[in-house]
Amino acid sequence: MKKLFALMLVFTMVISMAACTKKEESAGSGEETKTEAKKVTLNTTTTYAGNDGNAQNFQDAVAAWESESGNKVNDSSSTSDETFKARVLADFETGSEPDVLFFFNGVDSNPLVEAGKVVSIEEIRKEFPDYASNMKDGMMGASPVDGKNYSVPVNGYWEGMFVNKEVCEAAGVEIPGPDTTWDEFLETCQKIKDAGYAPIAASLATVPHYWFEFSIYNYLTPATHNVLPGSVSDEHGTAWVNGLNDIKDLYERGFFPENTLTGTDDETVQMFIDNKAAFLIDGSWKVGGIEELTSNIDNFTVTYVPGNNDRKTTDIIGGLSSGYYITKKAWDDPDKRAAAVDFVSYMTTDELVSKFAEVSATALKNGSQVDESKLTSLAKDGLKLVQGATGMAGAVQDQIPAESRVPIFDGMPNLVTGKSDIKESVQEVLDSLSK
Amino acid sequence: MTSHIYKNKKLIIFFLAPAFLFILVFLYYPFIKNIFNSFQEISGLGSASKGWADPWYSNYTMLLKDTNMWVAFRNTLIMLVVTVFGQVGIALLLALLTDRITYGAKFFRIVYFFPIVISATALGLLFNLIFLYDKGMINQIREIFGAAALVDFKSKGIALFTMMAPVMWQYVGFYFIILVTGLNNISSDLYEAAAIDGATSYQQVKFISLPLLRNVTCTCIVLAVTGALKVFDLPWTMFPKGLPNGETWLTGTYMYYQVFNVNDVDYSSAIGVVIVILGVLLSKLVNTIFKEKEF
Amino acid sequence: MKAIAINKQKKVSLGQSIILLLLSIWALTTIYPIIWVVLNSFKDRRFILSNSFALPLGEIFTLDNYRLAFERVDILNAYKNSLLISTSVAAVVILLAGLAAYVLARYEFRLKKLLYNLVIAGMMFPVFSTIIPVFQMQYSWGIVNTSNLFLSLLSTALPQIAGNLSFAIVVLMGYIKSIPIELEESAYIEGCNIFQIFFKVIVPLTKPSFATVAIFSFLWSYNDLFTQMFFLRTKTQWAITFLLNQLTSQEGTNYGLMAAAVTLVVIPILIVYIFLQKYIIKGMISGAIKG
Repeated sequence: MKKLFALMLVFTMVISMAACTKKEESAGSGEETKTEAKKVTLNTTTTYAGNDGNAQNFQDAVAAWESESGNKVNDSSSTSDETFKARVLADFETGSEPDVLFFFNGVDSNPLVEAGKVVSIEEIRKEFPDYASNMKDGMMGASPVDGKNYSVPVNGYWEGMFVNKEVCEAAGVEIPGPDTTWDEFLETCQKIKDAGYAPIAASLATVPHYWFEFSIYNYLTPATHNVLPGSVSDEHGTAWVNGLNDIKDLYERGFFPENTLTGTDDETVQMFIDNKAAFLIDGSWKVGGIEELTSNIDNFTVTYVPGNNDRKTTDIIGGLSSGYYITKKAWDDPDKRAAAVDFVSYMTTDELVSKFAEVSATALKNGSQVDESKLTSLAKDGLKLVQGATGMAGAVQDQIPAESRVPIFDGMPNLVTGKSDIKESVQEVLDSLSK
Repeated sequence: MTSHIYKNKKLIIFFLAPAFLFILVFLYYPFIKNIFNSFQEISGLGSASKGWADPWYSNYTMLLKDTNMWVAFRNTLIMLVVTVFGQVGIALLLALLTDRITYGAKFFRIVYFFPIVISATALGLLFNLIFLYDKGMINQIREIFGAAALVDFKSKGIALFTMMAPVMWQYVGFYFIILVTGLNNISSDLYEAAAIDGATSYQQVKFISLPLLRNVTCTCIVLAVTGALKVFDLPWTMFPKGLPNGETWLTGTYMYYQVFNVNDVDYSSAIGVVIVILGVLLSKLVNTIFKEKEF
Repeated sequence: MKAIAINKQKKVSLGQSIILLLLSIWALTTIYPIIWVVLNSFKDRRFILSNSFALPLGEIFTLDNYRLAFERVDILNAYKNSLLISTSVAAVVILLAGLAAYVLARYEFRLKKLLYNLVIAGMMFPVFSTIIPVFQMQYSWGIVNTSNLFLSLLSTALPQIAGNLSFAIVVLMGYIKSIPIELEESAYIEGCNIFQIFFKVIVPLTKPSFATVAIFSFLWSYNDLFTQMFFLRTKTQWAITFLLNQLTSQEGTNYGLMAAAVTLVVIPILIVYIFLQKYIIKGMISGAIKG
């Protein structure tokens, strides 16, 4: 079942990304609800706030919806961090949850779904058949609890390998491309190291997440990547152990910076920016991050993480990790039900989603429409990366609750230095998952 | 000990009730829930409990077996010694010196206050840049003086020093201000009288300032002890997740990590309970030591 | 007093200069960080990590951080909210803590040891283990998550008051114990009851102590991001620390904006502190005693 779902996801996603057609289609839903007279005040909570690139977009959209619908919005959005997550959960716990929530759809949302505090799209469609009809059902980010869709996504992410061109040039190596294999990548890294640079900017001590994801991906395929191992010795368990061994191998070859076990992520990213390291695996959000940090954006590009075994180099990690939820509280309120549906429909029209998503992934049936002329060279490279992808899988770590990740994520320095055994640590993760 | 005027205790309830009402409602009621939580199973701050832990005391047995926790205890004890002698000691010295100068006392009182007001994130960034491995301030200075190899100030061995020096530095100002206020509470009449009797500055400090400052110093040490147990922000920004290899855990940072990174709310509650018990015991110890010295 | 000061200075001028030197060395370490923060607030974010110890001159210099801070958010409104919360916290804390500390310092009674231990333990309760029950409790009172500004500010201030009381009681007890009891006894003989003794003898005598405790309570309330995160929801309710954290807490941390934010947060506190300095200086005390 999971496999089938993953397969479907990959298929639809790739098609959607490749096709950036300019077709216009009315968003559909919402129209019929607007006639209902009673004006309400919706309470909303999102992560579009502060420094988020879409904070202004969100505010503008809210204001436009307010004047169009005559309803009011009481917005308590805040930038997302651990405290924000705790606040949202506490709200639900006490019954003071918002009417509409923009939140993560991975394990973070499990408490909301388990307690039945959010309404599934299936149920909403019984009354509003057009709800989220412009989205592909297979890509909306089903809940890990029951596989049903609860949220309507807007903008997604992808993960790729950022490259510092100057370092590659100085070391006399080619920038890895869609055909680069893992072994070629190792050779490239060796040359970069011999030239006196750090091949890979990564803080294994604080953010080993991306390397974990891709190194196990290299022993799986887009279709199988998202399946959690049943045991250490099954196909997936072996992939995890092999992948972690690869990270250990990279560490032992000295491809990470000297302070990878003591420095923070900020420090290693800065090395990458300062032309001291060649490669950095990170997410689509780093496009903006690098644009902010450098004064020469053309020195950077993004490419595929070299593949191994059955995984093609052009198979990427990506997906949509958050979306709009309508809470049970709003749904059960006869005055608010239609307004909440209208609000979410309004915020997830093709037009607005394209505006929010820019170069990141979307679940739109018609694909996202981006004005390429406004993008930096790095952002364009990112767009190309997505368009050229042959397969895509969500990050498997989103299915692992934080407490279960500890042995291999926070324990990464111990794994690469041999202080703890890789097999045993994977087993610990699985034990914790089965609890 | 008690003065005869304080024999009638009828009215004291009006003095105590408001403050303790606040403390009980906003601190003790939640903390009792916290004790209760430490026997439950809760993943994620704000989430509901999944039921009793199995066995109910399992968090406490886990705590005994958790090597990180023992590292945290060890580091916190070191931190405690550093805080008591480093922070309160230096602060006392600075306060006494400031009290003896005629010009500039006001200036020093203001500038010593600076480190307390700057947020920990900013200070963390500053110290990270000072101690940075590649092109950090200290490594650059060392280069100028001819040192060849870079020093990784966050590596095993010196990580604890790199973590504690800024913390020590930051809180000196805090104790300084408390102590300076204590000195100002001492009537200048006493010094005048002593000066007339021909006492030197040193004698004035030894026989007037220090004895009269004893209660306030004791307060500072109690604050330093409890502060060391919960110190969190600066170490966390400089050494997140007990970097390197879990060498720099403190009880405060480890508890935070359990809440927000591991989402193990019940376990962190257990750590919280232990910290509070330790704090009460240690502050009792401080008070006893100071009482004995009285005679 | 003045005569003595002059006298002292003449006698030990060599000692004085050594003392001044020692104090200045420490002062350098405390002044430098604040200068560093202010300087970096005028730098373009691209140069902060690579050029953090350079002066903001030439292409590094920019006013963008401040422009951004003022443009994106309503800073003045946030200052107002912060001042409302933090001054009321400081005022309530010194009043309630003063009353309690006085009794705990001067009286002997059966529950005294227990109460003192309650205070000490209360100082160590980590805020993230008490916040959820407090949130639930205040929600049941109907003061959380409303659109009413004053209720939201109140719901932030109440837990902060409780959180600062323990510290305040411990510190004030230390100060009150240090003052000679004779003054209270003579007031008692003149017929004062304990309320009068507290307000007419204790408070004037320990004014600097109250000012110190007020400053720290104010400071902690002002900087307490965590409580603000939970209780201040809509934009009009945001206080300054929360607001500026919202600006700086995104991916690829914008250190230039952070430095500007710190500067903007710190300046009002320094003004308050310098203003309150006059209560923390010598001379007022002797007046109080004589008068």
